[in-house]
Amino acid sequence: MTAMTFPDLDNYVQDPLHPVKPNVPTFAGPDEIPSHVPPELVKSCGLMFSPEFLAAPHEYMAAMQHNFPPIFYDVTPYRNAWHLTKHEDCLFVLRHADIFRNLEASPFPRDPDDYFFFIPQEVDPPQHRKYRNIVDPLFCPAGIKTLEGLIRQRAIDIIDGFVGDGECNFNTAFGRPLPVSVFLDIMGLPQDMRDTFVGWADIMIHSSDQAEIADAFGKAIVYLRGAIAEKKANPDGGVVSLIANAEIEGRKLSDKEVFGFVCFLWIGGLDTVYATLNNIWLWLAQNPDRVQEIIDRPDDIDKIVEELLRRYSVTFSTRVVMKDIEMRGVQIKKGDRVMTVLPSANFDPEVFPNPLEVDFDRPRKTILAFTVGVHSCMGGHLARMELKIALQEWLKRIPKFSVKPGAQIAFKPGGVVGPAAVPLVW
Amino acid sequence: MPQVTYIQFDGSKQTVDVPVGENVMRGALYNGIDGIAGECGGAPSCATCHCYVDDAWTAKVGGPDGDVEAELLEAAAAEIKATSRLSCQIVMSEALDGLVVHLPETQY
Repeated sequence: MTAMTFPDLDNYVQDPLHPVKPNVPTFAGPDEIPSHVPPELVKSCGLMFSPEFLAAPHEYMAAMQHNFPPIFYDVTPYRNAWHLTKHEDCLFVLRHADIFRNLEASPFPRDPDDYFFFIPQEVDPPQHRKYRNIVDPLFCPAGIKTLEGLIRQRAIDIIDGFVGDGECNFNTAFGRPLPVSVFLDIMGLPQDMRDTFVGWADIMIHSSDQAEIADAFGKAIVYLRGAIAEKKANPDGGVVSLIANAEIEGRKLSDKEVFGFVCFLWIGGLDTVYATLNNIWLWLAQNPDRVQEIIDRPDDIDKIVEELLRRYSVTFSTRVVMKDIEMRGVQIKKGDRVMTVLPSANFDPEVFPNPLEVDFDRPRKTILAFTVGVHSCMGGHLARMELKIALQEWLKRIPKFSVKPGAQIAFKPGGVVGPAAVPLVW
Repeated sequence: MPQVTYIQFDGSKQTVDVPVGENVMRGALYNGIDGIAGECGGAPSCATCHCYVDDAWTAKVGGPDGDVEAELLEAAAAEIKATSRLSCQIVMSEALDGLVVHLPETQY
């Protein structure tokens, strides 16, 4: 195949007031490999979907450090893209938002004739910071700290609901309800929406039926639009109200900006914390000595959380290349997509020696759980707080637990890595 | 409200109000001051809000706030000096009114 050209990208204007689909071409499968890709760098690594990956995803991604070149061109039926696994390279890509842009970052289906951006994820500098400044006072460490008591009470209430049972499926009993109820609190939405939100999220994230996904997303869109209208009429202290009534440079946000912002927060907050908790509780259930270590080191909870986030990062980040660039001698061209394999970069032995070992006393280095650069996850501090509180309150009430005998642990395929169910007994 | 003066690597200066309790990294971001990335948001888990505290202020501001800040500073892109701090870890107080920080050539 000849090198593709990119007429649209050169002239593409990203205007959040008039959002236009960027039309980044997608190449998929072995017949759509650009001619500048050397054959020896073409791989099908099986990330996210292969049986080898799903058998032990994080171990698999650690092994990518020596089983694949540091930069290779991954070919799948879904989408071909350069894959980067070195910590240094991922930092470089994510920190150069002018070269590697976050176009069409979300996979959820949008009407091209009524397009909207997921804000601030799909808006690049210089506009990006203006949106972040609206919500950063709440999502920064000091802002999240004010939510600590509320999150803690949610965690306690949820655990108290099943602690007497002596067993649970962690995912449905705790992993899902905690982040969803906290999200509803923060957004200023009613708690009685919890199970409905969980239902929509489950379908959107786990269904392979496109009609079902579109239906669930459609219902969520209708609900969120209604909530935005309500908060415009009756402002309160929640984030939906904050965004619905926010101003940038003296003007109110447009309806599309408000919707894209609220919708992005809804999607961004649901599955990642969920998967993170599920992965970590599986590890805890299999490592009672390490559970005891966490219990014995209450003052070190922040470094414990940071190390667990390194060891169990759950997702990936893809960018569109805006100009030709060489990395490690590899020619990467305008229009290519690059995916930073974040969990693998967290296992780069040059930065994290003996990378698979959970070591709470590692020197602090930049982990890639939340990416880096301007698009660093705005929910990172919330996620850290939720994980910290979950550990503290769970271990106070259920200090000894294990995987239910006979349970087979299966990992879910897809872009958010975690076990489908973690049956526990205590 | 206390003020902070940020001096860019090229010598240009900006002085802005930063409320008591807010940190020096956020003061830059909210006021559109270049030269501080603050990409992790103050976790702290990066070193992209690196600054040099002006010599006149080092005694009041003090050195790195524990091992974590010191370890992160080791990975800062620009030269590390005795006055290096992560600006997200400098929290404003009335006593720091007039603080002057110098920004490094790069945060990456």
